[in-house]
Amino acid sequence: MVDDLTAPVGSRGRGQMMGQGFAGLALVAAPLVLLIVLVLFPTVSMVANTFHVTGEGGRAFSLAKFAAFFADDYSVENLRYTLVWTVISCGTALSISLGLALYLRFSEGRIATMIHALSLFPLFVPAIVISYAMVRFLGPNGLFQLLLEKVGFTGYTTPYLTPVGPYIAFVWESLPLPVLVLSAGLAQVSDHAIEAARDLGAGPVRIFSQILLPQLKRSLLIGFALIFLGVVGSFTVPYLLGPPAPEMMGVYMQRTLGNMRPEEAQVQAVILMAVAAIVGGFYIATMLRNQRSR
Amino acid sequence: MLNRRHFLIATASATALSARMSFAQDTKMLQVFIDGDTNISNWWNDIIKPAFEAAHPGYSFNVTITRGVGDGNATIAQRALAAMQSGTDPQVDYFEEFEPAKIAGSIEAGLWQELTTANVPNLSMINPAAPDTPIRMPYRGSQVLIAYDSAKMDAPKTFADIVAWAKANPGRFTYGRPDKGGSGSNFVIRAIHEANGRDPAAFTKANFEAAKAEEMLQKAWALLKDLHPFTFGEGTYPAGNTPALQLLAQGAVDMIPAWSDQALQAMNQGVLPETIKVAQLQDLALCGGFAYSAIPANATDLDGALKLANFMLSAEMQTSCVREIGGFPGISWDNLPPELKAEYIDVIPVSIPTYPSGDWQTAKNDGWYKNVATNLVRE
Repeated sequence: MVDDLTAPVGSRGRGQMMGQGFAGLALVAAPLVLLIVLVLFPTVSMVANTFHVTGEGGRAFSLAKFAAFFADDYSVENLRYTLVWTVISCGTALSISLGLALYLRFSEGRIATMIHALSLFPLFVPAIVISYAMVRFLGPNGLFQLLLEKVGFTGYTTPYLTPVGPYIAFVWESLPLPVLVLSAGLAQVSDHAIEAARDLGAGPVRIFSQILLPQLKRSLLIGFALIFLGVVGSFTVPYLLGPPAPEMMGVYMQRTLGNMRPEEAQVQAVILMAVAAIVGGFYIATMLRNQRSR
Repeated sequence: MLNRRHFLIATASATALSARMSFAQDTKMLQVFIDGDTNISNWWNDIIKPAFEAAHPGYSFNVTITRGVGDGNATIAQRALAAMQSGTDPQVDYFEEFEPAKIAGSIEAGLWQELTTANVPNLSMINPAAPDTPIRMPYRGSQVLIAYDSAKMDAPKTFADIVAWAKANPGRFTYGRPDKGGSGSNFVIRAIHEANGRDPAAFTKANFEAAKAEEMLQKAWALLKDLHPFTFGEGTYPAGNTPALQLLAQGAVDMIPAWSDQALQAMNQGVLPETIKVAQLQDLALCGGFAYSAIPANATDLDGALKLANFMLSAEMQTSCVREIGGFPGISWDNLPPELKAEYIDVIPVSIPTYPSGDWQTAKNDGWYKNVATNLVRE
């Protein structure tokens, strides 16, 4: 499905293409200008700023600000914490959505439709609602704990204000997009291939690892990138549910800015941007490879 | 098609314009920006607005809540500064609460209107405990108190009482992270005062010196690190005033520092268990502070904004501040009805300790995160 959207539609006359090109350019011009003025320009100037220091001799190129970040144990710990929990959240969310997508690929009927709708539900719930719902449900003396105590389990400690709190919310929040992407990927696997494999005696594990997985690689990568980019820069969920320290980079940046140290916040932002750019690069490379293979 | 559309747009905008103009003739709308908690924005919308409209016919105001949006009122102040530089309409008249120093260069650029008894006559009644510069106007205050479950303990009277009780009852006390809300912040400040001879005067805006501050704050970190393993979840400090109150309301803890106004309101609404009471420490009160309003000099309707400022310092609104939001007044108690003073005599603080903004705040927040909070992950 995702691929279909980017596929060229038939062949057209040269003149028609030219006309369409101009119309297309005209259409894209306004958002492009907006993007350049409001996003690209401030970003570039900010990134440039982090690589310079203003001293007696005026502005000079320097890596001092980055050196200061990496020399500070607390900052590095925050970065490490952010990356570790982002990857863990990605892994969990991706596995669960793969399971859901597989189920949806091979099931039909009412229940499957309901599960499909349910898996997309988090898409429509704002992060702050999830966070407060989590506090009420999983928090101390919350509904979950009361239910456990009803059945005699008293050893519950709440994940609220620990790294597990935001982790649960991240996984829940991140399900819909990968489910969509993976479902689209699975829809492209032909029934014939699977049936042929079955006829030759392949079990479900073998069908999954040798037929489905190779064809899903791209979708998995896209799914991973989507979750990663969403989680790594998140703010609300770790702010409300996470531990005081270490902090996710989003929360840390906000605090640095709140402490009136915009230059340090900029460095933190650029470092996070670099991380996101690597993953975003994978995503774009995958998309490009898609188009070229056509 | 096109004609019809043009026609529709033209009529619609003409109608809108005439509606706007006729409205503008009747009522001048001031633009007020608030990034404080809900109790404050509700108070402005539900109580101040009708009172102001009644006292100043022809004026009204529109409250825009900037809480949690971007950097709150700072974002709007940035906009006002930009508007000043480009000579355009800043679309703001009044900041319910703002610290002008927060926007670097804005004071030098003359963004903030000087408020004196000449343009805000009621400033003559101002509370002497609220020191200040003429570009910001203290108009309401609140102080951090200790909210505690009276069924489980006697009112804590000293900082040492809190520590002793917390250690005897592990996990039943907590305070908010110092950068996420004043209740936690002022508890941390109280620890700083405790560790440095209970002398708030030792901390002034001008006397910050990195090395000396480090030494003074380290003593407080030792105190708080000692308390750390006995707090709720062994150091999982809640992220704000409300989350801390929520823990108290859910019965997860029995004692927290809380803002006087928020605690009183929660008690009035029945959100907190009935046995919860509030107390102030007797050896040295927890810090309190004033909320300062600020008016940009390029306000769309400067005259109206000054009228609003003066109205906020009137005895009527200051009484409302005490009654409705559990705050304490920006003007001195002598200018308020005597029966009000008698009723609140127990919570009227003798002194309102303060702690300087700027470097000391940053050192406090950063130091707490690096020394106290990290204890959890590095044990």
